[in-house]
Amino acid sequence: MIGQVLGHCRVVAKIGEGGMGIVYRAYDEVLHRDVALKVVKKDADLDSSSSERLLHEARASSSLSHPNICTIHEVGENEGELFIVMELVEGKSLHSMCAGAGLPPESVLRYGVQIASALARAHDRGIVHRDLKTANIVITADGLVKVLDFGLAKQVGSGIFEATTRSFASVQDASSMSGTLPYMAPEILRGEAADYCSDLWALGVVLYEAASGRLPFEGRTGFEISSAIMREVPNPLGPPIPPGLWSIIQRCLAKESIQRYQRASEVQAALEAVQSAGIVSAGPGSDLNAPKTTILHSVRHAQVRNGDFLLLVGTTKGAFILRSNAQRSRWEVGGPYFHGHSVYAMAYDDRGGQHRIWASTASYWGTLLRSSDDFGKSWTNPQQAPIKFPSETGASLKNIWQIALGRPEEPNVLFCGVEPAALFETRDAGETWSLVQGLFDHPHRPRWMPGNGGLALHTIVLDPVDDQRMYVAISAGGVYRTNDGGLTWTPQNQGIRAVTMPEKYPVFGQCVHKIAMHPARPERLFLQSHWGLYCSDNRAENWHDIANGVPSDFGFAMITHPRNPDCVYIVPVESDEFRCACDGRLRVYRTRNAGASWEPLSRGLPQKRAYETVLRDAMTADSFDPVGIYFGTRSGQLFGSRDEGRTWQKILEGLPSVVCVRPAVVGDAFGGVRPTPPKTPAPSQEPKSLSKSKTRRPNR
Amino acid sequence: MPVTFYIPGALQEFTAGHSRVQIEHSPKTLSEALSALWSIYPGVRDRIATEQGQVREHINIFIGDENVRYMGGLASPVPDGCEISIVPAVSGGGGL
Repeated sequence: MIGQVLGHCRVVAKIGEGGMGIVYRAYDEVLHRDVALKVVKKDADLDSSSSERLLHEARASSSLSHPNICTIHEVGENEGELFIVMELVEGKSLHSMCAGAGLPPESVLRYGVQIASALARAHDRGIVHRDLKTANIVITADGLVKVLDFGLAKQVGSGIFEATTRSFASVQDASSMSGTLPYMAPEILRGEAADYCSDLWALGVVLYEAASGRLPFEGRTGFEISSAIMREVPNPLGPPIPPGLWSIIQRCLAKESIQRYQRASEVQAALEAVQSAGIVSAGPGSDLNAPKTTILHSVRHAQVRNGDFLLLVGTTKGAFILRSNAQRSRWEVGGPYFHGHSVYAMAYDDRGGQHRIWASTASYWGTLLRSSDDFGKSWTNPQQAPIKFPSETGASLKNIWQIALGRPEEPNVLFCGVEPAALFETRDAGETWSLVQGLFDHPHRPRWMPGNGGLALHTIVLDPVDDQRMYVAISAGGVYRTNDGGLTWTPQNQGIRAVTMPEKYPVFGQCVHKIAMHPARPERLFLQSHWGLYCSDNRAENWHDIANGVPSDFGFAMITHPRNPDCVYIVPVESDEFRCACDGRLRVYRTRNAGASWEPLSRGLPQKRAYETVLRDAMTADSFDPVGIYFGTRSGQLFGSRDEGRTWQKILEGLPSVVCVRPAVVGDAFGGVRPTPPKTPAPSQEPKSLSKSKTRRPNR
Repeated sequence: MPVTFYIPGALQEFTAGHSRVQIEHSPKTLSEALSALWSIYPGVRDRIATEQGQVREHINIFIGDENVRYMGGLASPVPDGCEISIVPAVSGGGGL
């Protein structure tokens, strides 16, 4: 098998063998990545209907995108052999880590939360694991849980009960199938079909085993184990296991499924509640098997609930998540995440019922786009950088300045504006990214010049009405617009002054700091330039000056009011040389008549020796009524107003330099609306793409 | 003689926690040695090198005590049994 090519994966080495098949390390020669390749054994007793079922399940599971789920990239068939291409996960199995006396309670909780989160995502997508066990759970070196083989289990063999029982009874220690029976729920043993509740039983067994190092239901034979599962109660787990954790395990192991938790998210919330109660002590028996480097060890997490309001704050030394509610009066701070990395872009994506936070991180180890589906408790840390310039461009990614969500009807579409100035897009929720070639190949690009912050594409604005129209802003290149879905781009800078160039009104080359659009009036845009405030009422065909009564028309941040299309907020700074609040007075300026006049908003803001700067993405608004306005400063202060800017309060100080502030209303963190999978376009409908050529995810 | 990579703490999450990684066969150049390293631990690659294959600006690689920037970069010869250290440069971590 070594050296053979299945699909487009060349087999490199055998790395394991299970009851279902053999697992190889392989190299995807199209996408140039290492993968795991599971080849189902020819003698795995697959009849044609079982084979079809396995393929169906694998394809369904490949739709799961979650940091704690091992991703299935592709399934296929080669000369009668089924094979599954999946994410290569390296780490230790939970089974090996908890052997002996089990793990400390804090580790059980940390891993348990992630396992429950993975189950919650799968259940929401209608996928039951069917074979959750500690051997199917891998802990990576950075402490991230990866649950393997979602939906793949038990399509092999003519009968679940016979296969596993036979296996366990005959070869107790070595068989790859052994250990499965002890995780089976009573109803499965009675011959009922596996469902969400039987997965939660298995989760209870996993938690018990992780906490104690032994199984809750043991026996010398399959019959004895089955009997224990059906009739016995497990031995209680005492200290150091907190009573709260033991209660959760007991409820998972209720003999009647109706008495268990009904949703994995409930188990997750319960485990988090025990975590946050602080009754877990590290104790002398520290986790010897714990990973050597864990990103989130010393991080405090905000405990997010449905209906909460979050501020995502990116700084030059890490990110923070601030939690409040619709009152917006008290704030709980989570973080710092990504110690020492600069986080210039964050975004909250709740399209399709998800609650994903995106963040870009940059350090001397490179620039990555990362995401969290559990409000920062765990983050993806991809082996390969998701966003890269193609080799033929000769360019290297320096920073990701902007993360912009695609339109609501395309929940898998996102855009990133990067440095050096370029636009990337994904159409599969971040699995693969591609350079928008139409903009990168623009003949102006070689003559764009870096501003003080570098040559960056920092702003992306989508027209909410015309799905072919989009604007980007580049420092220093100016505003560019596409009307054809990204194939071609035109400079839209007529009327914008360029003080640093000999020609004061060039076609392009202006150092535009920010543009903003109100979705209810997409023909109008506002613009904050490097010296200059402008408005366009004709989709950026030309711009007119609106610096009417501001102390300076130099500045960075600019946002529109979420409901009033004539209302805009800015924070002027004194000059190019002295990029601080004018006269040492920190004032937000607001227009309510599209720039005909501006009013200062300073009540509650420091008005003496406040030499503050608010950078281009460090201001945002919420969607409550009255609207809240928030901004962070370069000196690490965070201010907020609950009354549309009339009065201000300091929310936080002492942060690193704030470069990004973004809002998030958590519509359904733990219940209520069910996520709906993205709609698959009809075969005749080719999805629109901004890229001329791109690397596509292989067919599933 | 195998060559030995010394892995900084920040990258050990991609080397299964190992602070030292030995390359069994004898690479002739740093480029070959790095290729061998990231064939075993692919997550290290994008942290050390740009997409254009250059060592990142604020990362230094030493063969023995010599900084490869002054030895021929990726083409630097790798003596049998040598030790290769990957370290972030002093200049890193700047920003605003």
